[in-house]
Amino acid sequence: MPQRSARTDRTGPTRRAVIGGIAGTGAALLSGCGSAGTRKTLRWWSPQASPDQVAGYRRQIARFEAAHPGIRVRFEPTSDEGYPAQLAAAFASGQVPNIVTHLPSFAAQGYYARGLLEPMDDVVRAIGPDRYYPHANDVYRTADGKLCAVAFGNTAVDMLWMRRDLMARAGISEPPRTWDQLRAACRAMQRDGTYGAPLPFGSNSMTSLIFVGFVHRAGGQVFAPDLSVGLDAEPTYAALDFYRSMREFCPPGATGFGWAESLNAFTSGATATGIYGGRVLGNVARQNPKLSGQLVCATYPTRAGGAAWTFNDFPSVLIPRGAPHLAETKMFAAGLFDPAGYVPTLLSAPGHILPPLKPIAESKTFLSDPVIAANRPAVELMATSAANGRNLGFESEKHRPNPRAGEVIASNVLARMVQQVVLENVNPRTAVGEAAVHLDRLMKA
Amino acid sequence: MKGRLLTALTWALVLLAAFPLGWMVLTSVKPAEEFFASPPTILPRGLTLEHYARLLRDTPFLKYFGNSMVLAGSTTVLVVLLATAGAWGLTRYAWSGREWVARAVLAAYLLPSVVLILPLYLMMVRLGLANTIASLVLAYASFALPYALWLLRAFMAGIPRDLESAALIDGASRLGAFVDVVLPQALPGIVSTALFTFILAWNEYLFALVLVNTDEARPLTTGVMSMLASAMNVEWPLLMAASVLMSVPLILMLGFLQSYLTRELSAGGVKG
Amino acid sequence: MSRRLPDAAVGPLLVVPAVLLLGGVVAWPLASALWLSLHSLYTPTLEGPWVGLGNYAAVAGDGAFWHALARTLVWTAGSLSLQLLLGVGFALLLHREMRMRGLARGLVLFPYFVSTVVAVLVWRWLLNDLYGLVNQLLLASGLRDTPVDFLGVMPNAMLSAVAIGAWKFFPFVTIAVLARLQTIPDQLYDAARLDGAGAWDRFRDVTLPELGQVLGIVVLLRAIWDFKEFDLVFLLTGGGPVDSTRTLPLLVYQQAFGLNQMGLAAAHAVAMMLVMLVFAGLWSLAMRVRA
Repeated sequence: MPQRSARTDRTGPTRRAVIGGIAGTGAALLSGCGSAGTRKTLRWWSPQASPDQVAGYRRQIARFEAAHPGIRVRFEPTSDEGYPAQLAAAFASGQVPNIVTHLPSFAAQGYYARGLLEPMDDVVRAIGPDRYYPHANDVYRTADGKLCAVAFGNTAVDMLWMRRDLMARAGISEPPRTWDQLRAACRAMQRDGTYGAPLPFGSNSMTSLIFVGFVHRAGGQVFAPDLSVGLDAEPTYAALDFYRSMREFCPPGATGFGWAESLNAFTSGATATGIYGGRVLGNVARQNPKLSGQLVCATYPTRAGGAAWTFNDFPSVLIPRGAPHLAETKMFAAGLFDPAGYVPTLLSAPGHILPPLKPIAESKTFLSDPVIAANRPAVELMATSAANGRNLGFESEKHRPNPRAGEVIASNVLARMVQQVVLENVNPRTAVGEAAVHLDRLMKA
Repeated sequence: MKGRLLTALTWALVLLAAFPLGWMVLTSVKPAEEFFASPPTILPRGLTLEHYARLLRDTPFLKYFGNSMVLAGSTTVLVVLLATAGAWGLTRYAWSGREWVARAVLAAYLLPSVVLILPLYLMMVRLGLANTIASLVLAYASFALPYALWLLRAFMAGIPRDLESAALIDGASRLGAFVDVVLPQALPGIVSTALFTFILAWNEYLFALVLVNTDEARPLTTGVMSMLASAMNVEWPLLMAASVLMSVPLILMLGFLQSYLTRELSAGGVKG
Repeated sequence: MSRRLPDAAVGPLLVVPAVLLLGGVVAWPLASALWLSLHSLYTPTLEGPWVGLGNYAAVAGDGAFWHALARTLVWTAGSLSLQLLLGVGFALLLHREMRMRGLARGLVLFPYFVSTVVAVLVWRWLLNDLYGLVNQLLLASGLRDTPVDFLGVMPNAMLSAVAIGAWKFFPFVTIAVLARLQTIPDQLYDAARLDGAGAWDRFRDVTLPELGQVLGIVVLLRAIWDFKEFDLVFLLTGGGPVDSTRTLPLLVYQQAFGLNQMGLAAAHAVAMMLVMLVFAGLWSLAMRVRA
């Protein structure tokens, strides 16, 4: 059983502290703010930085600064593709931001396992542990019993979306629950230029992440609870077989689908079903309003007899170790969940990021947002599915947290396996076998 | 007749090469509902400037734009000065080790930037320049310099010596001869070097991503991308408006500068 | 004003500022990368044990490097040839006198100066099978009755990458060649015409030799940059389908920031550098043979 130490043996802190000291002095000299002694500045990074969301963040910052004169907060956008490089530079040089939000849970686990993050138990205590849904922060529990991060929200990433009008036209009365039913439904709805589904078959992270869900819905797993490779088993083959059979119901360009393309395929009406989170609601309202009343949301169908499994990437709040003003940072982190600012920020992408705090999820301000109000059943379903959701870093309650999940996704091993079987007709045994070997090597590297 | 055919062909090809620009412009004035119409509409059915308004009003786009102008401008000036002097030193004067220096500067290009950025960032931190436009200017100038040197060397090698010699015999100083005789000849080369450097500094993404994290110094590339185009969601309308705004000033500048590439300026000395 | 520095001193002096900047800013990261390649490092901390040449052994032994090298050579050679063809062609066309030539020259530069990220997003949109203009035209004109998958199957993916790479970078060639064309003296062409040479002969016997040196530089620079090109291929295909467009720069990036193996990435990068040095050496020989 591979044991992973929570700390690496380094001379790091000393060197980084020196560099940080020099850099800090140099920067202070250059920026000429020598007299800014009492002003504390906190830096906040997030890869979710669309203009609407940033407007929400700025309001939250304004409220916090008004309540705490002497502390300034600066928001600095990063991106999903850019943050690994930017955070690597930040950690390597000691110039870390104070707080980073919206990173997936396995990123937090990965950094924490290397001693790069502060435990967040204090922040949860400040927010009020009983306000959370039960188990909301389980995914962040680490080998040493602390919390590496705190849930900023939940996103039910792979819900099944359908349209009432297309269902009616095909004579389907309710959303499919099993794979066979899904296949039949897609076949019935695929006509007149509309495709059945926007499943991804690309060489990218979406394919890997989505496929993990299918493996679980077949009753399987990628890693065993002790983190040995569990991929080479019957459920994986069943999932591959099903995924391959869905190829004919997806547009030809699905071989290059990423999240944005798959989302657009459904919201524009090109496909009859969708596989995405709550952003569907907001996008439809803005870009294709005539579909607004037609949306139906369900948990994604499973293999006959299989258990439901929803992918929650768990957008998190984490605090890098080594940033200045730790106490103020923790105060700010807790303040992020203050409903007056938190709810508007959530509503900048209504339904996409759902609050892990019960009082907020049930509050009037949250529920009275027009998009949320018009889609209550969908939002509630997503909230419960996400709260019970899982991801590659935390495949079930029995699993140990997997700090290398991010690297597994970045290595493209799973997407490659799917493409080999579906696009190149490689024998599934060969493809799965190869993938298992790669995963094993990756975990041991 | 053949002349007119060739002109028509030229314009057809040019428009073909540049048509994505036209498509970007047309798309940027479409209202949001028309974006994902299937089948796609080429000409917008409605016209709106709301995306531009939103971009300029609600986002730090103008700040990013200003940063990019400062960044690209400073880099270009620095590179033109150093490369013109350096190329002349490598061309006109014979000295031992000249070829080796010329080759060695290309070493800057041999490693992919991915492995260079972290050490470079650490160095900028030590210099106290992390997160500043200055760090980007230094980085970009260093990566523009080798090709600028080689390109200008090629141009200057084609300039006949007798002109300069004539001026020197007439009593001009080295610098005077250089400015009066050599510079006009090398101007097309200098202008193309300036154009390339400006474009490189304007469009570079990876170094800007790592070296600058604050909106105060952030240029357009990383600013626009992190704001509008992530793996999960692309804000198409705003992105098209931003792309048009990012491109048009460059076209104007290039249209203005390209006249320096015409032969009128280099007439005179060459025909001798 | 009679005291002059000797010629032998002026040359180096003029070069010193450039060399200082390069030495200061580039040399150290370069040396750093070499040093990093001898360790097994976790990227965010850049810490890890010494492995000597262990990374290089992995590079040589693991098929991934060689396959990626083959793909990189295919992409570079394909795109570069097209860039030269289009670049020189456009330069010749835009060298002629014609109305609003300035505007044409400005427009032709558009592919080069538009940001790569934006360009790829736009092209992916245009090549989309559902809403893309290209497929729409193909279907409407009757050339095809189902949409073409431009980016998700081979050989389309590599062909699209090569073509879009050519579109993106040919203006670099055009501008360099145009600038040089301006300085070719008219008498050479007049003399050739008097000798009875036609348009193609004039091109071959006057233009090409005069362009020789500039073209040589352009080929060298573009070859190096195309070999290292990351943004375009990564954003266009992500390396797919199934790694068939995973060129070396994509492999290095994946190792550095996806797998957090900076030492291994650096070793791959150094191996890339050695390959490029070999080609630079061959190029040098070729230039000397020409002269």
